[in-house]
Amino acid sequence: MIYQQLINGLMLGASYALIAIGYTLIFGVLKLLYFAHGEVFMVGAFVGLYLVILGGANIYVALLGAMIACAMLGVIAVYVSVRPVAKNRPLAPLISTIGLTIVLQNLAVYIFGGQQVGFPETVKQELYNFGPITVSSVQIFILAIATTLMVVLWLFIEHTKMGRAIRATAENHETAALLGVNVNRVVLITFMIGSGIAGVAGVLDGIKNSGISPFIGLGAAVKGLIVMLLGGLGNVPGAMVAGLLLGMIEILSAAYIGTTERDFFSFMILILILLYRPTGLFGTRMTEER
Amino acid sequence: MREQVARTACLSIEGLTKRFGGFYALNELHMEVAQGHIHALIGPNGAGKTTFFNLVTGVLPADAGRIVFNGQVVADTRPSKRTIKGIARTFQNIRLFPHLTAMETVMIGSHCRAFPSVWKALGKAVLQRPLGEADEERQMRENAVELLEFLGLTDKQDAKASDLPYGEQRKLELARALATQPRLLLLDEPTAGMNPRETDELDDVITRVRDRGVTIILVEHDMRLVMGVSDSVTVINFGTKIAEGPPEKIQSDPLVVEAYLGEDVQL
Amino acid sequence: MLDGLLDGYTRSLLIFAGINVIAAYSFYAPFKTGQVSLGQAGFMAVGAYASAVLTQKFGMPFAVALIFGGVVAGSIGVVVGFPALRIKGIYLLLLTLGFAEIISVIALSWDYVGGAQGFRNISFNPFTLEYVIGVIVVLLVFFARLERSSLGRAMDSIHQDETAAEVMGIDVVRIKLLAFGFGAGIAGLAGALYAHHATYMDSTTFSIMLAVEILMFVVVGGGSTYWGPLFGAAVLNAIPEFLRALREWLELVPVEWTNFYPVNRAYDFLHDFLDFENAKRLIAFGVILIVMMILRPDGLLTRDSLRWLRLPRWKVRHA
Repeated sequence: MIYQQLINGLMLGASYALIAIGYTLIFGVLKLLYFAHGEVFMVGAFVGLYLVILGGANIYVALLGAMIACAMLGVIAVYVSVRPVAKNRPLAPLISTIGLTIVLQNLAVYIFGGQQVGFPETVKQELYNFGPITVSSVQIFILAIATTLMVVLWLFIEHTKMGRAIRATAENHETAALLGVNVNRVVLITFMIGSGIAGVAGVLDGIKNSGISPFIGLGAAVKGLIVMLLGGLGNVPGAMVAGLLLGMIEILSAAYIGTTERDFFSFMILILILLYRPTGLFGTRMTEER
Repeated sequence: MREQVARTACLSIEGLTKRFGGFYALNELHMEVAQGHIHALIGPNGAGKTTFFNLVTGVLPADAGRIVFNGQVVADTRPSKRTIKGIARTFQNIRLFPHLTAMETVMIGSHCRAFPSVWKALGKAVLQRPLGEADEERQMRENAVELLEFLGLTDKQDAKASDLPYGEQRKLELARALATQPRLLLLDEPTAGMNPRETDELDDVITRVRDRGVTIILVEHDMRLVMGVSDSVTVINFGTKIAEGPPEKIQSDPLVVEAYLGEDVQL
Repeated sequence: MLDGLLDGYTRSLLIFAGINVIAAYSFYAPFKTGQVSLGQAGFMAVGAYASAVLTQKFGMPFAVALIFGGVVAGSIGVVVGFPALRIKGIYLLLLTLGFAEIISVIALSWDYVGGAQGFRNISFNPFTLEYVIGVIVVLLVFFARLERSSLGRAMDSIHQDETAAEVMGIDVVRIKLLAFGFGAGIAGLAGALYAHHATYMDSTTFSIMLAVEILMFVVVGGGSTYWGPLFGAAVLNAIPEFLRALREWLELVPVEWTNFYPVNRAYDFLHDFLDFENAKRLIAFGVILIVMMILRPDGLLTRDSLRWLRLPRWKVRHA
């Protein structure tokens, strides 16, 4: 039983981690709480769904399509709600991205309706038994995609020129600019990467829950925020580990304490972290500015 | 007359220590500031001068040591409590309230004198006569008018703080600090970014502030100003005191000259 | 008192708009000291549930329950405000958001207040509009006086540079706590008024989106003057109603006037466009928010624009 729950926790945690990675990347380079990230996740789920239903695409095409569509959405987000907004007011970009959140969510309600939409079976459901644990092919598929994505991203951040530029920008904009980094381009690419990953996470979430609605974004955003904070602001590997951790905690508390208490625990963790360990479990990669 | 007052210490620092990680910003500093003196604190960059200010005003907590102000150990942790005891300061990089006018800025300084308790301030804010002004407010305003005049900012009283030229912003910061009615005023590099004419003016202003009965600790890089205006000088380097005495003596101290070697400063 | 003048629809509209105005002031109070809270919906929930428990389970009159709701929310505000003192910016935002979520989880799982079924059959208060107007007037007078007082100025200084204010002897801790608790109390009043007008609520009534809307009222109206929250909430509540009215007038136009090309196309487009159901209304709000941040990040009303408009600031001339 406990192993089964751990597998479920891992599944939930993987999608939390994918959302939080984008958050933490964007927070890293812009010091911006990017509220619309959850809605990007929701848009990804819908793009995937429509590619499968209308385009008859297979799941890999759907994933790729959602990734590209969301990366483009990230670019739009930068041009609409980040670049033109006054830089000398710390609140302004936060509020403009809240505006974007509202627009995206209600645009989805307007287009797709407010109901839950079923997600067709795209990965053939088969069950495998490993001793006491039963794992489905869907679960294996989701974990495989999520893990691959995280490994590729980690390699990208640690070992490529652009990855170094992103890390330098996260440390300090001025220094990065002095080192010849084109900060504006780095911000744009960070948004594309983060949003693309969130899009994939959206499709995976649709496969897992076999249904999506325009309102899944807000919940995902809030959980992503908790994970980002837990892992340490701007800390990508931290977000991965913290995502898995929160997924486990939620599934275990839901299984052994109660489903309504599940969220209570997540938010208590949020508040305790804020008060006693604002740098997260694994340390933040930046210093807070005044 | 001044000699008599000068015998009692306004501020004495006993073994003040502050670490940042393994780095000692201040290490066992001992120092006495006499009542009514202008006491300069000098030293190379990174010697611990600004840290000293932050510890005395309570912006940062000390790791060890005592601060004795007017014969009493300063134990409050919060800066506002120390300001009420009579310690005020200015900042090296000016920190004004950008959206307040010059008049309002100075009145912020006297808030803690007029309204020592938040409840009194709230009561006066809510229960004052309709359309009228509380007596405390009028007092604060008169006080601010006087201070702005003292610093030659009378015609700028309705200008936004952020719209003032640099030199006047420095003066406004000084007026705001004086409005807290300090007995000890800490000036952190008041001439930074000022032109020579403004620096000369400041020389005069500092002396006049001292003559109002305010003891002054001056951190400054402009040695001409320091040597001209101060009654005594303490030199620190690497967080510890290396020399102390009247300006004439300091100028010829070999340790001081050595500390400043390599720095482009003329003693 | 106002029964003869207003039909039920208008009355209800004014009540919800008025509650939004009060909620906007609950955000404005801590914001005046620089604290941005996404927890105001949570404090509304506290006030709503506390007052409804008092009227339903203990049979208390509404007036008592209203004050009780405000006091309970305010006290919890002080309790939350203490830890909130230590953190700023996005950390504070997340803390208040987490608090509001916890309140909503408690409302969902506590059967005494209805749990998942929601709090039903709260006694209806027929004088909500009068109460709402009364509370708004009191708040306006209060914040008007605060703005020109020394305490108000001290709050502004904390907003602009907390460390400098503290070093100038301003009791930053007490003032921030006072402002936060006070804002929570105002939110509690708004919640109590809401509960006894809607007569039903559940754990989703006071959601993050409501907190975001409250923030929006102040941001759009302008957070630097006490007219801002009133103006922002009024404008954002009036826009959809105004468009709805426009649509009704449009329908009064005789058919033969518009029934030819291209006027019929234009008519149909306009008619569709003015159909302002909730999703469209919120899309428009979102767009307004983004455009505002680009063009007028300080809000529609600022102190400078008020000076220019010569709206009463009750400013006393000084020597």
